[in-house]
Amino acid sequence: MSDIRPRLRAFVLEELIYCENPDVFSNEQDLLEAGLDSLGIMRLIMFAEREFGVTLPDTEIEPEMVRNFNALTRWIESHRQ
Amino acid sequence: MSLLEGFSRNLEAHPLAPCLAEGERRLNYRQVAEAAGGIAGKLRRLGLPRERPIAVALPKGIDAACAVLAVLAAGHCYLPLDLKAPRQRLRWILEDAGASAVIAHQPWEGANAWIDPRPLPPAPLPPLPRGEEDLAAILYTSGSTGHPKGVALSHRAIRAFCDWAGELVALGPQDRIAAIAPLHFDLSTFDLFSTLSAGAGVHFLPETLLIAPSRLTGWLATEGVTGLYTVPSLLSFWAWKGNLKTGILPDLRFILFAGEVFPTPRLRRLADRLPQTRLYNLYGPTETNVCCHWPVDRGRLEDDQPIPIGTPACGDRLHIAPGDGELWVRGPTLASGYWRQGKLSPLVNARGWYQTGDRAGRNAAGEYIYLGRLDRMLKVSGHRVEPAEIEAALLSFPQVTDCAVVGVEDWQGIRPAAAVVMEEDVSPARIRGWLAQRLPAYMLPAFVRRLDSLPRLSNGKPDLAAVQRLLHQRTSMRAPS
Repeated sequence: MSDIRPRLRAFVLEELIYCENPDVFSNEQDLLEAGLDSLGIMRLIMFAEREFGVTLPDTEIEPEMVRNFNALTRWIESHRQ
Repeated sequence: MSLLEGFSRNLEAHPLAPCLAEGERRLNYRQVAEAAGGIAGKLRRLGLPRERPIAVALPKGIDAACAVLAVLAAGHCYLPLDLKAPRQRLRWILEDAGASAVIAHQPWEGANAWIDPRPLPPAPLPPLPRGEEDLAAILYTSGSTGHPKGVALSHRAIRAFCDWAGELVALGPQDRIAAIAPLHFDLSTFDLFSTLSAGAGVHFLPETLLIAPSRLTGWLATEGVTGLYTVPSLLSFWAWKGNLKTGILPDLRFILFAGEVFPTPRLRRLADRLPQTRLYNLYGPTETNVCCHWPVDRGRLEDDQPIPIGTPACGDRLHIAPGDGELWVRGPTLASGYWRQGKLSPLVNARGWYQTGDRAGRNAAGEYIYLGRLDRMLKVSGHRVEPAEIEAALLSFPQVTDCAVVGVEDWQGIRPAAAVVMEEDVSPARIRGWLAQRLPAYMLPAFVRRLDSLPRLSNGKPDLAAVQRLLHQRTSMRAPS
């Protein structure tokens, strides 16, 4: 189990998207449909690089990588030592 | 003269030249004129009143552009709707504007008439109406009275900017311009009207590329884009993560940017990545479109120095009011007025100037510099955000008894944030959900914080500086290294 997912969830659900009840927002639910936009993604990448000490390569920044919390966690995990 | 005069001239001269491109779909000038002609014919047959706008509710692309051209050719003014805004807000705007019809792909709630452009057969473009003071567009922005506010622009005002901008960057038939800004944003007038007046081609950016910055670079290269006009926040993301290697975009001649302050370190990053591309800082509220500009001088980019807004543009005159230092503007790009409940109301003061609400000064070189706002308005990634409008939406939430919205600043610029006082404990997420039903995404507060009471000044008004200090403690994001 990843320790980064809860921190990602807290940040995204509180600062980047709008949902009435964050507790029931699943890890498979679509973040882009929930309002994560390009500026939100820029914030998210900043946050991830700083909090988890990774560098996310330019060419990997794609809708599929930030589609939901599972995808996002896998992506960031793959860049951790 | 009509805003479409230049388009019409190019249609005569080069009917087969590339005009609009969206994905694989490519139309030349003649095909665009005929598509627009088909819609314009329908509008005429409906006999809609000239003095009321026609809403365009289509995703940005070829269909939307043809609809805009059709509305203008038929002698009406267009009202572009932000398809991402909550339905409630769009209903309010349609009602306030008194739109006589909506051009959309599906029936539209609250519309007097619905026009689906797809089945209409091509037809020649009707002769253009000639009244240059006629309204061409009504663009709704955030309003300080708690509701959106329509800025009404004449053919003359939009032309004054578009002709000037076309000359500034020497637009010609060889150019290919990336259309990025949505139609309800005044930047889009350049994409459409400057480009078509120059006989150049408009290339609609696929929206998904806004979240795939390195593919955006690839798309610009493949399409051979020669120029674009967008907001600094998007350019910052792109310069940071766009895989921009030197020499990758040899065709990109120029970038215009406007809508918010471009922090100098990030502008410098962009300038370094694109050594061959000319960069221009354009300035002006929607009411004046663009009234001031600064061609970026790379030798003068010092990280701790904000860039100037430069010198007057488009034939406009600028004046700094003694006392509060407010920037006043008059000239050809000025909007005709505010559009309220189907009527124009004036936006200039008794002496004929538009008071921008921005504070300005002059530097040693005599260039204008932007010094901040005199009122509470915020600029969020190029969008105008009036805290009063967010407060009105917050106060409509049953348990909220008091609130204050202020701007909080982090490395990415300013965003609104809210302090609320509530009768009973409600989760901030529920309030955010409520706001999302009522406000467009760019107006949603970065966060909502509950307070027992608002700090107040001795005159009883909320102490916004104190609220700002309280909320500022929440923001911790630092600039990218």
